[in-house]
Amino acid sequence: MRMDYFYLVLKNIRRRGLRSWLTLLGIIIGITAVISLLSLGQGLQEAITSQFSGIAADRLIVTNTEAGFGPPGSTAVRKLASHDQQLLERVPGVVLTIPRLIRVTSIEYNRQKQFIFTGSLPKEQEAIDFIYTTFQLKVTEGKLLKAGDRGVVLLGSEVAKETLFDKEIHTGTHLKIQGNDFEVVGILAPLGNVQFNHAIFMPEDDLKTILDIKDEIDVLIVKTTSIARSEEIAADIARKFRKDRHEKEGEEDFSVQTPAALLSSVNTILNVINIVVAGIASIALLIGAIGVSNTMFTAVIERRRDIGVMKAVGARNADVLSLFIIESGLLSLLGGLLGVLLGMALAYSIASAANLALGTTLLRASFSISLMFAAVIFAFLLGIIAGTVPAWQASRLHPIEALRG
Amino acid sequence: MNPEYISLALHTLWKRKLRTSLTMLGIVIAIATLFVLVSISLGLQGAVAEQFRELGTDKFFIFPKGQPAGPGSSSVALMKLSDVAVIDKVPGVKDLSYAVAGNAKVEFGDSIRYTQVVGIPTERGDVFTESGAYEIDEGRHLKKDDRDVIALGYDFKRGSFFTKAAHAGDTIVINEREFRVKAVMGFRGNPGDDRLILMPLEDFRELFNSSDRIDQVIVQAESTAVVKEVAERVEKKLRSTRHVTEKTQDFTLLTPEELLDSFGTIVNILTGFLIGVAGISLLVGAIGITTTMYTSVLERTRDIGVMKAVGARNADVLSLFIIESGLLGLLGGLLGVVLGITMSKLIEHIAATQLGTTLLQAAVPPWLIISCLFFACFIGTLSGIWPAWRASKLKAVDALRYE
Repeated sequence: MRMDYFYLVLKNIRRRGLRSWLTLLGIIIGITAVISLLSLGQGLQEAITSQFSGIAADRLIVTNTEAGFGPPGSTAVRKLASHDQQLLERVPGVVLTIPRLIRVTSIEYNRQKQFIFTGSLPKEQEAIDFIYTTFQLKVTEGKLLKAGDRGVVLLGSEVAKETLFDKEIHTGTHLKIQGNDFEVVGILAPLGNVQFNHAIFMPEDDLKTILDIKDEIDVLIVKTTSIARSEEIAADIARKFRKDRHEKEGEEDFSVQTPAALLSSVNTILNVINIVVAGIASIALLIGAIGVSNTMFTAVIERRRDIGVMKAVGARNADVLSLFIIESGLLSLLGGLLGVLLGMALAYSIASAANLALGTTLLRASFSISLMFAAVIFAFLLGIIAGTVPAWQASRLHPIEALRG
Repeated sequence: MNPEYISLALHTLWKRKLRTSLTMLGIVIAIATLFVLVSISLGLQGAVAEQFRELGTDKFFIFPKGQPAGPGSSSVALMKLSDVAVIDKVPGVKDLSYAVAGNAKVEFGDSIRYTQVVGIPTERGDVFTESGAYEIDEGRHLKKDDRDVIALGYDFKRGSFFTKAAHAGDTIVINEREFRVKAVMGFRGNPGDDRLILMPLEDFRELFNSSDRIDQVIVQAESTAVVKEVAERVEKKLRSTRHVTEKTQDFTLLTPEELLDSFGTIVNILTGFLIGVAGISLLVGAIGITTTMYTSVLERTRDIGVMKAVGARNADVLSLFIIESGLLGLLGGLLGVVLGITMSKLIEHIAATQLGTTLLQAAVPPWLIISCLFFACFIGTLSGIWPAWRASKLKAVDALRYE
């Protein structure tokens, strides 16, 4: 292949100015759509991942088997109990066990009653701090709860807003929760995990008292000595639980999971959504490629005489073939490059606009270099495929017939 | 407009078969995608509405608020049998039934599953059994004084829940207690109903120690026309007996209409978004038409010159080209609709056979077909305007001289 082919091709593309641009436009729009949607989808996924539970692999989550969908423990056939926690504490490699309750309570304020998800905060300061770091809880107003606090709550960002009780809630406000008086000491910063924004947190003993909970635990969080051994420790825990409950392997009514495993199910759903959306968007790309094919067929017809002359002066089939394939490949490569740039710009502006409108900093476009490369390469390959049949047709033209027009 | 133009346009399209078909292909794919999305969305909403219709549009539901994961997940606001007695006496209430849900370990054959079981008062089950929703496939409905028996949804018989298919007469162990299968209910096509395990309320109470807790009340009004009225009356009555106001209400009333509306809103938002994404492909297809028409104008510059030389006006040239691009769009739309219908029927078939749900249905209302065709034709016309306008503005002398 010779360099002057490229020169020739560029000249041809330029000669058909407007039509080249129109053809390019199809590829550009297709790539722009795919890139912007995937970037936004990826950004969303990262935001959720990073805030879902501060993901560290040295944590394990123990629940009893659930019969439905809901917050951890809500549809368990039987609840975990302090006996289970004591079992966990005796497993080597377990540093800390934190029992949690996730329930719904009724909150009265401003003569209105709402039913709100309520999470418990453990008793010891070490465990409380662990919850704060794991879920990245921070306050925008007031302060976080400490060990030994009673009768106080932290509100999720959405709970404090005017939309819920027709009146904004600030620290120092007193609420009636299940008929008991509580003081708001802190308002939490908005989190990527939206459920947290709609929830409140209170000391474990308070939640147990107001809901009359005796010995129940919805989920046990376990901190292990090291990330490397967490799989091993999980297996030890499972063995201990099976023995305690007289259950055979494969018939457990509990599960020991790493947060990563829990998260992977969320990610699976997000991935499916991303693929469906990107799949529909890439139909545009397919149609763009058909446009390239169409343009190349036209180019072959228009340049029959040129092809005839080329052949008459000694060009081989392969020369003609590569000339046309380079043309369609180059056309699509250019479209892919422009599409990626436009797609990035679009994703960035959509994310910024959405953040501005929603008043958060959560949504962002995530640009992966490999995705950009893949998109450009994909466009290029698509162009080559689209150009193959027209180019082949051109290469097979008989010089005499071609010259005759 | 001269009808001859149409045959002339068809003739030129036919002459450039390859280019015409490639240009059309873009529109075909785009229209087919849009068609499938709208068709499945409409079908889904229709199928859900149909399920409610089978249950009866004269009914509405009451739930206590504050259930973290739906019925059976320890609500903080309780409804009790005393509430049922109150509702029973509200004028306009024809009949009612209620249900409690709990999470259980269910064993059959060699498989263990964890799922929800529902307790219903067998002496007041008419509201369910007389609706078209719960027909019996095998056995009979649970009756008054039945004990230690259950009725199963169709999935249990199909063997898609347990590894072994369950039939009437089989024994299933729920929370370590044996139950005899009295009935398998007919196929409904939605997992909620097809995975149902119903048992007499008395058994449920013993098994779950639920005393007189109730998770859901279903009320039948005297007629469909008065459902709203009766629902309002029931709401007011419950507020006064439960000592709550509108703002502190601890229970929710839902009419099928409201349920459908909220479901429809979600589906419409989703469909709207997907249609927006799919619309991009139609845009690309439209650009394809513009390119083709522009090429067509270039190729026929001399023809245009001749036409003008023998007296054709600008408007004649303009309409000739616009008709051509409109026809391109229309033909693409026609094939797109055919492809769309095929695809949506295929999706319906796959959903029914592979996923066991009849909710994903293809709706093919005539208005959808007609609007797709109109839309495709409109897009085609729009894409052709600019090239056609350029063609019409050509000067006869220049055009004739064009090489």
